Amino acid sequence: MAETHSLQDLRQAAVASKVFVQRDYTSGTICKFQTKFPAELESRIDKQQFEETIQTLNNLYAEAEKLGGRSYLEGCLACLTAYTIFLCMETHYEKVLKKIAKYIQEQNEKIYAPLGLLLTDPIERGLRVVSFLHHAALSVP
Amino acid sequence: MPVGLSVDGALGYPSPSRPFRPSRYVPVSAATTLLVGTTTLFLCFTCPWLSERFSSSIPLYNVVIFLFTLANFCMATFMDPGIFPRAEEDEDKEDDFRAPLYKTVEVRGIQVRMKWCSTCRFYRPPRCSHCSVCDNCVEEFDHHCPWVNNCIGRRNYRYFFLFLLSLTTHIMDVFGFSLLYILHHTKQLDQVDSVVTMAVMCVSGLFFVPVVGLTGFHIFLVARGRTTNEQVTGKFRGGVNPFTHGCLKNIAYVLCGSQAPRYLGRLRKPHSVQVQPPFLRPPLSEAQLEAKVLDNGIQQSKSSLEIMESQSTDADPPPPPKPEHRYPGLPHTQNEECSLLTEAPATPSLYKYRPAYSSPGKNHTASTHSSKMSRGNSMTESPSVPVTTGQPSYRSDPSLSSRGGAGCRGGGEGGRAGSGGLGGASAFGGRSYPSFTDTLLQSAAASCSSSLRSAHTAHNALGPLISEGTTSTSYKSLANQTRNGSLSYESLLTPSESPEFESAAHELSPPRPHPPHSLSTAPGAPPILGYTSPFLSAQQREGSLQACPAPLRPSPNRAFLRPTSSPPSRAPPLSPRARSLGSPPPGPAPGHTPLGKSLSYGGGVELQHRPSRSGGGTSMPNSTIKQNVANHNTHSHKPAGGVKKVTGVGGTTYGISV
Repeated sequence: MAETHSLQDLRQAAVASKVFVQRDYTSGTICKFQTKFPAELESRIDKQQFEETIQTLNNLYAEAEKLGGRSYLEGCLACLTAYTIFLCMETHYEKVLKKIAKYIQEQNEKIYAPLGLLLTDPIERGLRVVSFLHHAALSVP
Repeated sequence: MPVGLSVDGALGYPSPSRPFRPSRYVPVSAATTLLVGTTTLFLCFTCPWLSERFSSSIPLYNVVIFLFTLANFCMATFMDPGIFPRAEEDEDKEDDFRAPLYKTVEVRGIQVRMKWCSTCRFYRPPRCSHCSVCDNCVEEFDHHCPWVNNCIGRRNYRYFFLFLLSLTTHIMDVFGFSLLYILHHTKQLDQVDSVVTMAVMCVSGLFFVPVVGLTGFHIFLVARGRTTNEQVTGKFRGGVNPFTHGCLKNIAYVLCGSQAPRYLGRLRKPHSVQVQPPFLRPPLSEAQLEAKVLDNGIQQSKSSLEIMESQSTDADPPPPPKPEHRYPGLPHTQNEECSLLTEAPATPSLYKYRPAYSSPGKNHTASTHSSKMSRGNSMTESPSVPVTTGQPSYRSDPSLSSRGGAGCRGGGEGGRAGSGGLGGASAFGGRSYPSFTDTLLQSAAASCSSSLRSAHTAHNALGPLISEGTTSTSYKSLANQTRNGSLSYESLLTPSESPEFESAAHELSPPRPHPPHSLSTAPGAPPILGYTSPFLSAQQREGSLQACPAPLRPSPNRAFLRPTSSPPSRAPPLSPRARSLGSPPPGPAPGHTPLGKSLSYGGGVELQHRPSRSGGGTSMPNSTIKQNVANHNTHSHKPAGGVKKVTGVGGTTYGISV
């Protein structure tokens, strides 16, 4: 509840515009976001910065979805324990998601908040979009 | 707490609570009972002899296989298949009613269509489909399996596949060992053990054929990198599948891929905003906040106020703001309620920045006042605003879910047919669960493919009729019954109780039989002036204009706005929007019930939801009453002359020249 309210407070306080960065499906269904610089952000952030952020996110998601030894071992272990391992252990993807959340928070603190932007974690929207929330008036009550 | 909102702060409650339907649980209970029951009998009656006669590793082996089967069965049953949470209101701001129903993306060189999901309010990612049974969009939707009473999608396909493999193995083992027992006890068939073993054999033998058929089918699908949905709907028949990576890689992806994360039930981190000093504005006074609330959509910076001042001399309302501004004003209403109500009709603080203009001031005052009142009434409704978005399934009348529903159903049915062809009970619609033996009889692999084909053709028959037929003119609004509409409050505010307004209202009030067709050529184009109608009728109801025609009567929204619940709208039953497409809107029909009263503001709130644009005369029955708002808005008020600018859905401005 608290989380929901805080976002609503945010909305109430700010004249917020949102810029959405959609998924890039050109390589299939792997999680990748478009690095095309949206026009609405032109005045607000540096194109280079934006691309770097999105590219890093893409790389992190690629790492999460990588079909490698790690995921295979995880699968085998899960099978052997009748999937009870999921009760105790965090999956590889979840670990990377945490990493991504941390990265996003860091980017927000260092780069985007000073510019009046807020980068949201795409997992909140089912990995469909990355949104940049712009606050025009920022006296948060 | 209105149903549909996330009640615990967890993100993205997928769909509102649906009525409990016990029939959904029949197949899964039957499957569980059969699996567990038969295996238990086998282990209790057959295995003791087997372990004595041959080796004790036999029962052990069977137990291991059984546990593996059960584990996969449970995972397939209980695991979230990859449900997408409903998109939030702000996400489709760019996609107003004119936005197309389909969006094309290129996936590895192949054009793939993404369809707008009216329930979930986003364009479905490739391979995503909306399950009509679960009422959710599922990522990489395979099918809805009645035997596990769950959708099979990206997250749990692996477990489903392994369940099939292990079940096949298990059935073969049980059947084989039971046969072995029987062959060694041909002289003692009247014993309990033998009888039970024979029963076990029969059951396992009976289920062997459909299960093997389904397993073989899914092995084929995995090798080809397709989902059941895609196979059944024939998406890649004769074409190239952009989602395949080659047989081995496909198998590796299914079996060895990392477990995909769930999208639902995630605790959303609070978006903490640390604002640096340069960006802090002086804290807004309450009056200023009021102004923001009331003038939702008006540029809120001081500089833009100055611009507005110059614009205020125009008779036309200032053009609506970009849609981005649409939503922020809305939550304000909850906070501002008390201040709005207790205050006398004060000059809006907005005008504090302006030189004293009498008429605009009055206009604004009056409108503010009435809007305040209506806001007050509508305050309790604002929670219902998210409800609308959160409960699309409640709202959407199945008969009206022309495009979206049909598409959804098509997907769901296609998916179901996929599983239904073999052992699945629900061939179409998921409603009928034929007897167990029926499903068994249907189940040969050959019949599997034939039934899939028939399912496919049936599905295809559905699909083209609905989706293809209106491709060129298929707008989201047609399928979208629950989309947020944008209504600039500004346009509501502009018609006021001033004499100028009355005369304007007079001009506007005679209902036009045909809203400007030039603007309505595209189905879903709004008859423009409709947006002023809620406010107009509000004024009229307050006694200023008695000459309002019948359509400008109490709104259907009143039915929707519960606190002031009134008899539901007289809206005539509505044919699906698809059918009403293109036909000239009959204009404000007699049963046309636009917004009325001060509740129009609540209606205005309601107008946040994108209306369907099927024309002025059509209106939705009860569950899609909110659409009536826009529909009734669309019964056009003819401008007197010149160019009238009215806010349309999504903040679009329509200039009407008369």
